[in-house]
Amino acid sequence: MTSQLAAAAPESDTAPDLAVRVYGLRMSYGKREVLRGIDFEVRRGEVFCLLGPNGAGKTTTVEILEGFRARTGGTVTVLGLDPAAQPTELRERIGIVLQECGFPRQARVGELIDMWLEYYPHPRPLGDLLEVTGLTADRNTSVRKLSGGQRRRLDFALALAGDPDLVFLDEPTTGFDPEARRRLWTAVENLRSLGKTIMLTTHYLDEAEYLADRVAILLDGRIKIVGSTREVAKLAELPAQVSFSLPKALRDGEIPPPDGIELIMRGATATCRTRNTAATLRALLDWAARYHVGDLDDLAVVTPSLEDAYLHHVECTDGDPAR
Amino acid sequence: MSSPVRAARLAVRQTLMEQRNFWRSPEYALFTFALPLFLLLLLGAANGGSYLPGHIRQIKVLVPSILAFGVIAAAYANLGAKMAVLRHDGVLKRIRTTPLPSGAYLTGLVVSTVVTSLAIAGCTALAGWLAFGTAPRLDGVFLLGCGLALGIICFAALGLAVSSVIKSAESASPITNAIYLPIVMISGIFDPTIGLPHWMSATAGALPIKALAGVLEDAYTPARYAFPAADLGVLLAWAVVGGALAVWRFRRQPA
Repeated sequence: MTSQLAAAAPESDTAPDLAVRVYGLRMSYGKREVLRGIDFEVRRGEVFCLLGPNGAGKTTTVEILEGFRARTGGTVTVLGLDPAAQPTELRERIGIVLQECGFPRQARVGELIDMWLEYYPHPRPLGDLLEVTGLTADRNTSVRKLSGGQRRRLDFALALAGDPDLVFLDEPTTGFDPEARRRLWTAVENLRSLGKTIMLTTHYLDEAEYLADRVAILLDGRIKIVGSTREVAKLAELPAQVSFSLPKALRDGEIPPPDGIELIMRGATATCRTRNTAATLRALLDWAARYHVGDLDDLAVVTPSLEDAYLHHVECTDGDPAR
Repeated sequence: MSSPVRAARLAVRQTLMEQRNFWRSPEYALFTFALPLFLLLLLGAANGGSYLPGHIRQIKVLVPSILAFGVIAAAYANLGAKMAVLRHDGVLKRIRTTPLPSGAYLTGLVVSTVVTSLAIAGCTALAGWLAFGTAPRLDGVFLLGCGLALGIICFAALGLAVSSVIKSAESASPITNAIYLPIVMISGIFDPTIGLPHWMSATAGALPIKALAGVLEDAYTPARYAFPAADLGVLLAWAVVGGALAVWRFRRQPA
């Protein structure tokens, strides 16, 4: 029993490389159980993404980590602190970018950031924040005159005011056009290059795939799967797709199709699905050499995307009779 | 830095920022000051010269009444509407993401309101003196100060309490106005001779608007002079009620 407890909640200083540690986290609102015992860790310096359908418990989990909500059970450590017991100490070291948070209506960009710097014990210099967020030219602009993208950058500037070790991003690109989205992704990558840990929630799986080092899929109050984007895609055991331009000889029926490979020929392209990419490629190239069709033009391997894997994991659970 | 000192310093910074933002929209600041002044000049010119029972010139009652009105408009209506807008805009939510103690933030807002309210009271009193030669009794100045201090705190607390039940930024001003303007009317702020059914004047007597006007009147009118213990009691009671309501609502619904 003792050893189990120790394993469930190791001391914080034994794992200084972890920014967030969650063990057996449970949360109920009245009789409704929203989190049914979840475990995950976020390493320092990584971008960690929490995925899941609406109502899976993402927001609740993040709010518990941020110290806005008291948990029903389990152990939570954020930067070595218990968010429920030490919210003020924690907020000195984290930055939170929430959706749809306004600014005081009469304020100007520079003075608002300046005000924020007062709130933190180890603030970043104003000029530095303006530069990092690309707001230097807007220093004296009234917040009411900012465009949507500029407002988002000001959100970032305020979240970074205290030079946080950990930044929470709550669906940071919802409602963005593709260009603004790319710019925000760059901003997140810059944060990571500064050594910040980033905890991201998003509905966009391409965003998670692009930004996240590791993801956790939260389903129905439980962690369905956690790992690097690659691992999660792999664990779905979805086939990769190999495609190439259909050689003329094969199209005209002059040569037989490769043995043991189920080729789907559509227009000028041939594709096949495989769980062993290397073997399939070897077989295809051997076949091409044998029949003298040369290198296969436009040969490409598409590994399953995080989105494919996500949908697979979510659908598996939907059909799970144990539910 | 010890945390009370830090909280106090942050509250001062917040106050300065609020003041700067207040004066930054000149039309808002101007009309907040202009409304009581305009009412005073208008009503004073209309019937300031007539006499009330007890041979008191009406202007002697009108100036402190409008003084009370200006304070209530600035402390209750403006602060209430402002808090509702801050909540609706998500500014309170954003403040909660920082280590700023919410007490320091609220203190900054309230102190800024106190400063504005006192400035309005000062302007109105000055206008009463310059335009109508009406000033508080010298020995009533202390009472005037006490009344203003308690009144501002009381109405700021009520403004905070009311703000927490306002659902949208758009409805903030209409709601705060709809609550206090009728009470201003039945409290005889604009017309001290107003005739009311007994139950209505009794209701007004239990509410803080008439109480504040009463305390300030006692600082202006020698004939009525008696220590206004009942009015101060009503103000104090409402300050406690407003404060408790505000704290309770903010604990339950911090952003």
